[in-house]
Amino acid sequence: MTTPLSTAQQSLGDVAELPSVTFGHRSLMWWGTLGFMVIEGWTLALITAMYFYVRQNFETWPPLRTPRPSLTAPTVNLAVMIVSVLPVYLASRAARRLDLRGVRLWLLVSSLISLPIPILRWYELWALNVRWDSNAYGTAAWTIVGTHASLLLLDVADTIGLTLFFWFKRLPIKVMSDVTDNSFYWYFMVLIWIPLYFVVYVSPYVL
Amino acid sequence: MTSAGRRLLHNDSPTPGTLPGSAPELLSEETVLEQARLLDITWRDGGGLWGWLTTVDHKLIARRYVVTAFLMFIAGGIEAAMMRLQLARPENTFLGPDRYNQIFTVHGTTMMFLFAVPIMTAMGLYLVPLMVGARSIAFPRLNAFGYYAYLVGVVFLYVSLFINMGPDAGWTAYVPLSGPQYSPGHRLDVWAQVVTFTEIAALCAAVNIIVTVFKLRAPGISLNRIPLFVWSQLVVSFMIVFAMPAVATASTLQLAADRALSTQWFNPAEGGDALLWQHIFWFFGHPEVYIIFLPGLGFISPIIETFCRRRVFGYLAIVLANITTGFFAFGLWVHHMFATPIPELGQSLFTAASLVIAIPTGVQIFCWLVTLLSGRPRLTTAMIFILGFFITFVNGGLTGVMVASVAFDKQVHDTFFVVAHFHYVLLGGAVMPLFAAFYYWFPKATGRLLDESLGKWHAWLFILGVNVAFFPMHILGLNGMPRRVYTYLASTGWGPLNALSTIGAVVVVISVALFVVNAAMSARVGRPAGANPWDSYGLEWATTSPPPNYNFVNTPIVLGRHPLWDTGSPLPVITGLRADRREVLVTTAFDAEPDYRHRQPNASIWPLFLALCMAEFWIGSIFTPWAVVGGFGLTLLGMLGWGWQSSRQIEVERVDTDLQIIDTV
Repeated sequence: MTTPLSTAQQSLGDVAELPSVTFGHRSLMWWGTLGFMVIEGWTLALITAMYFYVRQNFETWPPLRTPRPSLTAPTVNLAVMIVSVLPVYLASRAARRLDLRGVRLWLLVSSLISLPIPILRWYELWALNVRWDSNAYGTAAWTIVGTHASLLLLDVADTIGLTLFFWFKRLPIKVMSDVTDNSFYWYFMVLIWIPLYFVVYVSPYVL
Repeated sequence: MTSAGRRLLHNDSPTPGTLPGSAPELLSEETVLEQARLLDITWRDGGGLWGWLTTVDHKLIARRYVVTAFLMFIAGGIEAAMMRLQLARPENTFLGPDRYNQIFTVHGTTMMFLFAVPIMTAMGLYLVPLMVGARSIAFPRLNAFGYYAYLVGVVFLYVSLFINMGPDAGWTAYVPLSGPQYSPGHRLDVWAQVVTFTEIAALCAAVNIIVTVFKLRAPGISLNRIPLFVWSQLVVSFMIVFAMPAVATASTLQLAADRALSTQWFNPAEGGDALLWQHIFWFFGHPEVYIIFLPGLGFISPIIETFCRRRVFGYLAIVLANITTGFFAFGLWVHHMFATPIPELGQSLFTAASLVIAIPTGVQIFCWLVTLLSGRPRLTTAMIFILGFFITFVNGGLTGVMVASVAFDKQVHDTFFVVAHFHYVLLGGAVMPLFAAFYYWFPKATGRLLDESLGKWHAWLFILGVNVAFFPMHILGLNGMPRRVYTYLASTGWGPLNALSTIGAVVVVISVALFVVNAAMSARVGRPAGANPWDSYGLEWATTSPPPNYNFVNTPIVLGRHPLWDTGSPLPVITGLRADRREVLVTTAFDAEPDYRHRQPNASIWPLFLALCMAEFWIGSIFTPWAVVGGFGLTLLGMLGWGWQSSRQIEVERVDTDLQIIDTV
């Protein structure tokens, strides 16, 4: 053990009374989550920019002999995602109130409602009506949907894992803060998907 | 406490105030030592191999990071020396063309991705928590994970090189040369995945440093008191957040996908675009240069201040220059592409932007010159390196202004002139300040001083060697010698200057060897440093050398920009963080007012596990797409284990009053 340098220390105050759990922007994890949101959001923005960059190489969009994307699966999934925000929000609100019963209930509802999302995402990929290796249009569209899908899958797994912890383990209060951060990330996943949905599925009808 | 704290900390007077209602209390030696003993038990990670693999101490991780990255500097240096030997005379046969291609590609990849960025972030991971007076870094396990991801990249690149699978398309991996058609086999896949690993590592470090700076600053370090090195790390971390996703996208989602999954990003026959690669690569690649040398500039201020015995001139100007450089760095990438069909308006814009960025750098240099001239400089080894920085970096900056002009750039594009320019910038702007930083902070990390007389030999030989090695390249480039060629004919007349350049490289090798000997010897038998050998001012000098695993017994309170010079002894502190569990004091983002006590994780194997899962994912995907499926499953398992560990670890401590609430619900 190394001994501390200066044994001459003068205490000017005491922090023992400060709380040990906080929510939102006061908490460290919120900042870490925000950091990764910026990184992932920026990555998706760059891919979207590249989507429009390769657009310049084509006369028509989608390219000749490539059908437009189908809208059913993507639109259904968008609706499910938007609806899922509600239980996710309620879980977060219950967590802030330290309401264990509410957290358990709304996490379960969130998990159930988010389960079909990755499955619908699979149909969404094929709704592009083009393969990733057909042309640069297909490549760009698959990259946008696929990148968002892998983040989505991780977050759905996170929500389900959190639900299992809350139902089958006795947890410390600190984990309440993790519930709000998980919700925070889910809002981001849904919010960023709205413009991406318009880029990938709607823009081929108008461009 | 919080409101009382606010009042205390907004008091700008350099004499310590007191919290209203609480008299300043001089802590007895026994109290402090007892607290230190308890903290040491709480913050100690396990012993033996398991302890080594599971530690989350930011200092241990950062030390490994620095050592690994420095080994990469030596590896890259050996490759450079091999290239210089090959080019020393016309029609040399030391390296064949294929081997030469691999060596120069691995040299560039190593120096940019495995040495320069990692060592700069590693210095931040070591120093930033100490400089802001925190017990630990914001996310200790993320920090360990980042290091292991980086280590996987290091091992993967060098194993590949030794089995003749080293990448060979240059560190910029331009398509179509690097694409599936012109680079079959796995060499370029190796490049793409190595880049991915290092980008992940850099992003983890960046988020960690940003949150540490925003939320873990000791009470009193308001924005206008953040140390200049910390400012540079903060700006660089933001740059990493916006630059690295570009290259990760380019290497993984585009190049690797084009090669393995037949996507069509860069295939013009199917609407892809080769120039797209250059845009996205340089959108990362240009900021990368500033990511490497802004921390270098960050080292300079505290070193000059310490050895000139005065406060730096123009603190605010230097901070603003850092931020401005960070912004402008993203607006210049096209100047790497002047030889491609870029619209004329674009050329003018990017020329102007490339010239403008010289201004903030100039501002910093003039601030330091004023500090130097008005202080009483002591010519220690660290200061010699700083002088070397002024000479070498300013030269590189001047040729930078030259190549910013399209007309000139088109003449010297792809010649040795460019090689000379960026080696002057990077060796002068990053490596010389880095060596200065080694001499300055080595005693903090090891408890022992580096030998000064060996150090001075190292410094002068290094500065001399760099200039002898790279100055002739300006002339070679102007005479038309292209870069990335493995040999040349005698009739070109390039032989003598190349021979001179090789002599310079030998001098550099000797000087670095002297440093390695010095570091190895001094770490064992060097003069003991004590806590503050240079009588400096930063908080990192307010704890022992090397610092204990908990960094500070009590969180320091900062009453000025130069804490130890402003307050002296006794050190004003704030007490109340628990000693029986790993707690850090979280403060508000702007004013650093105490806000809450955050529980930090104990040692963990999951960071290593998760890094290995990702290794399976990325490396395996080169050979079979099924690796992606397996890797994804393993990654999920790793994340679950990570979360499970956090909750289990807390469960053990259910006696806590604040943990009881959940039972009462």
